[in-house]
Amino acid sequence: MSRFIERHPAWTFVFFVLAILLLLLVFAVWPPGLVAVMGKKKIFLNALLNGITLGALYFLVASGFTLIFGLMRNVNLAHGSLYLLGGYVGYAAVELTGVWFLGFVAAFIIVAIIGVVLQVVVFRRMEGEDLRQTLVTIGISIVLADLMLWYWGGDFYQILTPDWLSGPVVTPIISVLKRSTGDPIYIKYPTVRLVILAASIVIGVGMWLLLNKTRIGMLIRAGVDDRDMLAANGVNVQLIFVVVFAFGAGLAGVAGVVGGTFQSLAPGEDIRYLLASLVVVIVGGMGSIPGAALGAVIIGLAEQFGSVYMPTYSVVGTFLIMVLVLAFRPQGLLSMR
Amino acid sequence: MALLDQTPANAGAAQEGTSRVGQWLARVHPAAWLVVVLLITLPLFANSFILIDIFGWAMILGMIALSLMFLAGYGGMVSLVQMSVAALAGYMVAIFGNSAASEISLGWPWWATLPVAIIIAVLFGTISGALAVRTEGIYTIMITLAIAAAFFYFTRQNYTIFNGFSGFNSLKPPEIFGINWRDHVPFYYLILFWAAVSYLVVIYVSRSPFGLALQGIRDNPRRMEALGFHVTAHRVAAYTFAALIAAIAGILLSWFSNQISPGTAGIGPVIDILVIAVVGGLSRPIGPFIGALVYVLLRTFSLDVLEAVGLDGSRFKLMIGLGFLLIVFFSPDGLLGLWERWKGYMARSRNEFDPLGGGER
Amino acid sequence: MQTAAERLQATGTANALEIRGVSRYFGALAALSDVSLSIKPGERRAVLGSNGAGKTTLFNCISGDFPPTSGSIRFFGEDITDFPPHERIRRGLRRTYQISLLFGGLSVIDNVYLACRGVSRGRFSLIRPRRNEALMQSASDLVNAVHLTEIQDQPVSELSYGQQRQLEVALALSGAPRFILFDEPAAGLSPAERSELIEILTSLPEHIGYIIIEHDMDVALRVVESVTMMHNGRIFKEGKPEEIESDREVQELYLGGGHG
Repeated sequence: MSRFIERHPAWTFVFFVLAILLLLLVFAVWPPGLVAVMGKKKIFLNALLNGITLGALYFLVASGFTLIFGLMRNVNLAHGSLYLLGGYVGYAAVELTGVWFLGFVAAFIIVAIIGVVLQVVVFRRMEGEDLRQTLVTIGISIVLADLMLWYWGGDFYQILTPDWLSGPVVTPIISVLKRSTGDPIYIKYPTVRLVILAASIVIGVGMWLLLNKTRIGMLIRAGVDDRDMLAANGVNVQLIFVVVFAFGAGLAGVAGVVGGTFQSLAPGEDIRYLLASLVVVIVGGMGSIPGAALGAVIIGLAEQFGSVYMPTYSVVGTFLIMVLVLAFRPQGLLSMR
Repeated sequence: MALLDQTPANAGAAQEGTSRVGQWLARVHPAAWLVVVLLITLPLFANSFILIDIFGWAMILGMIALSLMFLAGYGGMVSLVQMSVAALAGYMVAIFGNSAASEISLGWPWWATLPVAIIIAVLFGTISGALAVRTEGIYTIMITLAIAAAFFYFTRQNYTIFNGFSGFNSLKPPEIFGINWRDHVPFYYLILFWAAVSYLVVIYVSRSPFGLALQGIRDNPRRMEALGFHVTAHRVAAYTFAALIAAIAGILLSWFSNQISPGTAGIGPVIDILVIAVVGGLSRPIGPFIGALVYVLLRTFSLDVLEAVGLDGSRFKLMIGLGFLLIVFFSPDGLLGLWERWKGYMARSRNEFDPLGGGER
Repeated sequence: MQTAAERLQATGTANALEIRGVSRYFGALAALSDVSLSIKPGERRAVLGSNGAGKTTLFNCISGDFPPTSGSIRFFGEDITDFPPHERIRRGLRRTYQISLLFGGLSVIDNVYLACRGVSRGRFSLIRPRRNEALMQSASDLVNAVHLTEIQDQPVSELSYGQQRQLEVALALSGAPRFILFDEPAAGLSPAERSELIEILTSLPEHIGYIIIEHDMDVALRVVESVTMMHNGRIFKEGKPEEIESDREVQELYLGGGHG
């Protein structure tokens, strides 16, 4: 960070100004002129918060994808199916037990087990054969999609949030001042989304700390750089691979429960989240956890602001971001390569 | 063995005098002649369902898969954007030509519409390629898949140009030279003509300097660079060439189904093209057509077959997926690879009994 | 930029290869330090030395695969130090590789044809080459020169190791080479294949000079007129083959070291 400031004082200044502007936009009461240009502050803030929380969900899905890719160079195009399966499993568990939290546990465990099976049966047999791995995972996602359609049908499912999480929370952000009295009206926002945002941040920071500050993290990152060196040092590389794969898959399952809570579960969502993961990791940088976080927030914000301020072209905005990144920084914004 | 043998014969100096075409024809496998005769005479004994809905459809899908095979087999680049290129050509025909959405369609004559449609689609394919070749290998699949998805969502959201969710209906081939090309037999021959042209052109180009260089780049890009070849330009040019085939197929596809809509190039069809090419075999241009025929037959008759054996007919996707998985798991070179292996096995077992009989390899 | 006339003049007078004070560092490790070497047009020279003496690094610097950290390289009078590999190839410099970098999916003749094509125009041509086209003709001449005509239509991935090495030589001879770097062309060859290689090398046109890295002294000393010994990234001794062979220091360091 300090090195960046030393090297690029101009950019640092620009970022600083932008950050101040953003804070002003969020916390200050908007003058009428600004409202005339950008619409109500409430709409802007909702788009901002929705974008960030959607980014949190994208991060949960994409971080598993990028973790698996980063360590093993395995492109798992069945990742979206794992997401949807996790959602359905979580739904079933919540229906059965009535405990929201158990949905996450069940989804994580079951999807992680499927991840282990995938790693052992498919990826280990085809080590180094990128194309075949990709094709096989496409086949698996076709099969899983049809099996899930068979079992759960084409209906929409939504996982119910527990009482203590449902309903809005009042944030300390002023929306407008009441015209009659001048009293401030505060922005309200769904509690569950904020909790999920907080949880995603905790998971993300936890993963980063695990990878960068612990011994097992060092081993994993060493495995990225030089697999043979790791094996030569007596580390059970295969075991590490299985564990990482299980964890990445489990994350997708957890993300499914999250998605099933504040959006809904239906056939086709698997592809949607696979694509979101792809775009997020292409933008953020393959195999990088901070990259996935940055990419997820950028894409989440782009989608939400797009759908508010230019509804017909929101997808184009997302796509444009991807094209720009590919054109100017093909390895992604925060790539490990 | 492919229907047409690609390797040049060991023509000695003595044969140099005879006509090249003659030599070339002599190398065509007898089974290939049978297929050619069958395809040309098909309208004599097949009804319109077999003609158009089976063979016509298979040849159109085969062409799109062929454009993928060209990129993947010769260039080592698995592009999932070919179906989108085809769909864009279909869209352009609807937008510049005639469709039921008369408030959007411009009603240009066919001789203006078709070239413009092809040019725009080829441009799209080229630009996608230029983005995709900035990275390598596995990234290509992911990036082209993302582009294909963006195309799908964009056409679904955009109403001013692409007419959103419903797309365009009543797309019909024009009347040219006094022939009504929407009639079954002329339409069949139209498809057959373009499928044959693309197939032969791909075979021809694969042995041209451009095609050879592309295969060299597939095998060893760094050395090709050192030899003085512009690797990136070659790859992008390969996308352009493949897009041309996909665009022609896309126009035929829009006429075949009488409509074009976002679903034409949804994620499902995009993946289907990959499935077709891989199941058929990516090593030879005939593979995609074999894959397409198998796909169309499965797609058309699996419902009846599944129900006949007492299963749920709607599990068609499951069957396709499992079949695809089996092929990818056991024969990376698709049905062609299976056939080749079987032939190799037969040749070997023959050789064991007959020490004088030489196998082909 | 030189004019054509200047370059032509330079060609007439200058050395084929003029290496001045070339060093190459990998981090703190000096793979080459301050190497200077002059080779006359048409001269054939062997570079000998134990593993890690810097021979292949020297080749990489000359061919442009890795540019040198410091120093300059002139090729027929032209400074090529900062040229990319393909610019060097266009000027007539070729090299072979120790590890096979052939195009495995293509046939023998197509490999050579591509190498010929790379230095000519029409690399994007969609028209198939005819059998009697000039480039195709020179490709099949080259295949003939390295004795691979009988298997010219086989995919390279099916060739034996020795045949692949012979094909490497053919690729290096493609176009109009003026100077070739041979990187251990005899490694892994059978005795019969070795004598075939010696024959191919000695029957090259006289104007083509080369440097050969070779462990096998029987091969190396029979195909060159001068020898450079390298040790630890430096030039250690230069001379005629018979001088080097009888040099006591060399024998201690290299020949006597139980090296095969």
